[in-house]
Amino acid sequence: MKTLEKEGKTYAVHPVDGALEVKYGLPAEVRFCTRCVISNQRPSSAVEFAHKPDSKKHTIEFDESGVCAACRYAERKAREIDWTERERQLSALCDRYRSRSGAYDCLVPGSGGKDSVYASHILKTKYGMHPLTVTWAPHLYTDVGWRNFTNWLHIGGFDNYLFTPDGRVHRKLTELAYRNLLHPFQPFILGQKNYAPKMAARFGIPLVFYGESEAEYGNPVAETTKAAREEKYFAASAALNQMYFGGVPAAELPRHGIDLRALEPYMPARVDDLRRAKVAVHYLGYYLKWTPQECYYYAAEHTQFEANTERTEGTYSKYNSIDDKTDPYHYWTTYMKFGIGRATYDAAQEIRNAHITREEGVALVHRYDHEVPRKFLAEFLAYLSMDEAEFFSIADGFRSPHLWQKAGDSWQLRHKVA
Amino acid sequence: MIHVVDYGRGNLFSIVQALRQFGLEASVSGRPADVERADTIILPGVGAFGDAMAALDGGGLTSPLRSAASRGVPMLGICLGLQLFMESSEEFGHHKGLGLIPGDVRRLSDAGHQDPSAVRIPNVGWRALRWETRDPLRPAAYEQTMFYFVHSYGVVPREPEDWVASLTINGDRIASVVRRGAIVGCQFHPEKSGPAGLAFLRAFFESAMGRRTEGGRVREDA
Amino acid sequence: MTPTSSIAHAPSCGLSGALPVRLIARLDIKGANVIKGVHLEGLRVVGQPAEMAHRYYADGVDEIVYMDVVASLYGRNSILDVITAAARDIFVPLTVGGGIRSVTDIIAALRAGADKVAINTAALARPDFLREAARAFGSQCIVLSIEAKRRGPAAWEALTDNGRERTGRDVLNWAEEAESLGIGEILLTSVDMEGTRKGFDIDLISAVRARVRVPVIASGGAGFPDDVADVARATSCDAVAIAGMLHHGLETLPSLKTALAKRGMTVRL
Repeated sequence: MKTLEKEGKTYAVHPVDGALEVKYGLPAEVRFCTRCVISNQRPSSAVEFAHKPDSKKHTIEFDESGVCAACRYAERKAREIDWTERERQLSALCDRYRSRSGAYDCLVPGSGGKDSVYASHILKTKYGMHPLTVTWAPHLYTDVGWRNFTNWLHIGGFDNYLFTPDGRVHRKLTELAYRNLLHPFQPFILGQKNYAPKMAARFGIPLVFYGESEAEYGNPVAETTKAAREEKYFAASAALNQMYFGGVPAAELPRHGIDLRALEPYMPARVDDLRRAKVAVHYLGYYLKWTPQECYYYAAEHTQFEANTERTEGTYSKYNSIDDKTDPYHYWTTYMKFGIGRATYDAAQEIRNAHITREEGVALVHRYDHEVPRKFLAEFLAYLSMDEAEFFSIADGFRSPHLWQKAGDSWQLRHKVA
Repeated sequence: MIHVVDYGRGNLFSIVQALRQFGLEASVSGRPADVERADTIILPGVGAFGDAMAALDGGGLTSPLRSAASRGVPMLGICLGLQLFMESSEEFGHHKGLGLIPGDVRRLSDAGHQDPSAVRIPNVGWRALRWETRDPLRPAAYEQTMFYFVHSYGVVPREPEDWVASLTINGDRIASVVRRGAIVGCQFHPEKSGPAGLAFLRAFFESAMGRRTEGGRVREDA
Repeated sequence: MTPTSSIAHAPSCGLSGALPVRLIARLDIKGANVIKGVHLEGLRVVGQPAEMAHRYYADGVDEIVYMDVVASLYGRNSILDVITAAARDIFVPLTVGGGIRSVTDIIAALRAGADKVAINTAALARPDFLREAARAFGSQCIVLSIEAKRRGPAAWEALTDNGRERTGRDVLNWAEEAESLGIGEILLTSVDMEGTRKGFDIDLISAVRARVRVPVIASGGAGFPDDVADVARATSCDAVAIAGMLHHGLETLPSLKTALAKRGMTVRL
């Protein structure tokens, strides 16, 4: 694949269509994993408060056999990792931290979705811990999301702090993130990622358990060998004036009607606070072999977790991430920017866990990936204070030409998984 | 040669598989010649009476079947097949049958869904039979043994001695097993009635062919 | 119709006077495996179709229903091989559902050894398909499958594609309409209860049974023998479909039948 650089931009040279801009620092050549359905355009987790419109993405690694990092990790999960030994480490960790005074001994962030139900419940019932659960509210609760949240606490049996950010600020940040980054989920990610460590520091709870590591989905493999979460994802000593929110430098936010004091919930925990409170952040997925489908069954059986009774738009699944009406747009915008929609994410994970075959995954991607979520569109537009025409026009501007071509009135992916 | 008549209606696969369970092979076809040379004939069937008679007529099978009956060739009619043995049926109009057994086919009474304990029509499910005679086809534990039925019409033979077993649905007494000479019929599906059904089939073949069961298989007398 | 014989008026069916409730094993099939979900979601493998079906047949199951739960996702019918293998030596009625979209599909299913086909998605998309199917194959062959999701105290919505898509259709009205088109039976699954092992949606089964005259098979929620007895008693349903309770080894058919008989129910022994 021939590429050329011009005025700070990268172009892929197409034999017919000429120079096609390659946005976001993505690989110019599109390839698909030979085992799952993910493409090499999949971005790894970003450090969100450094996320600018011209930021370059780190993307998932493919090895010489064309197998993605997540599939390789799945292979290790299935064959190499000694889960008995890992569980022994978890028991030892819990023994060390288990409270004798009745105080909370660990903090489990979550939403009452299948993963946080599993994590909190198994820590409580099997490992004898006394977790405090914390939740960062979805932008817009779905009915089933609220029911699952309350069932988690009242049937599962947990204490919980639910943080709901100032809706006016949250909406504005979401709108900015949509316009500047086509990343409407950023405010939620910022708040949610940072909430648990900050609460742990505040309450003096020394142990935080997340569920799966992002590495299961393609972050650098080195991270999967560590149980503890990288500090850079949740701690910062950087001054506010070096940070970006919604792709906008913090100093410019007042111009958009956001008082800098309102940013507190989105700020990462300070490293000093964490170190003082001796907060250790671990992935339960390092110690327990994580299968999202098994989390669904566990949650259904223990807290009456309900899947949706209809398919989530953009995919075939019914139990992944169903508590936020804006969630479908998170995936739809990744489809616009990277050509990877929700069905691809769901299918890739299910292929790695051997619930479906690659052939089935491909069929699901073709059938559902391109679906534009409509069910909550009116509400989401109102939330963003945007009309439909502007909404779609902004999104179109974020399509990377090396991924998309226009055919008449409609857009087609240049490369489809096969 | 055992012959299963294929006139486009019926679960022939299951019948053939059932026979295989006791080592019997059958020919399966719609050819009149195969009916003419058969030693034993099975007439299966699901669906509507008039339709089925038209298919038999159209396939040139009506005469060979009647002729086989008059020659005393053992025959087994299953479900609709039994109904076709009768003189006539009132299903979707008035139709003439093969006329091998005096009597007719009548629609089962619908008790209406006001009575929750009434039998719904079609009569679908397992039913125990009232065995009227000590026929070789009667199972050992005959009072409890159930067979699988699915039908909306029942046969009413005119001659009392033709009734081997009966069944009463919403007050209507119909014949569930019929025998007139070498001609046998069952309203239920023996190929769908589990071990009891297989035992019924085996008993039919033993009596029809004058053969014995040995090691689970029906064999020629030595 | 008047009895022609002098033999006394016999009670309906079984000599004990009561109709036996059919006990049906329901196998949800994905490819080569039997899976079991909760609320029609999840692909957890619980066994192989051949082994499980033969075990249930040997244990005295009255019927087996095979549902291809991903047929409409992938637009294919791979379940026919499973049926043919079963029909070779399983001699109780076999029903196949999932992805039955045309008369051709029905012919293929029957030829493969099925006795009945269950139709849902295709029927809601084009109700006349039911009429065509009943006319071609007879009503006794055509089972309407309904996936019912509760929407109100006495209202349920029909879903399709194994609980993936909404239709906005009211279940009771739909059942009545389908009956007028010539179906022979209704396989009625409660999406709310299925996979939970917390008992059947008795309101649903009763409500549908009151609206139609065809036999109704209750499906979704069996956890204990008492659940089966309760739904049979409360609704007089004609059959009960059981999945998880058998697949997870919570009960065997003999133990279930004994428990039901103890509660005064007529079962096929």
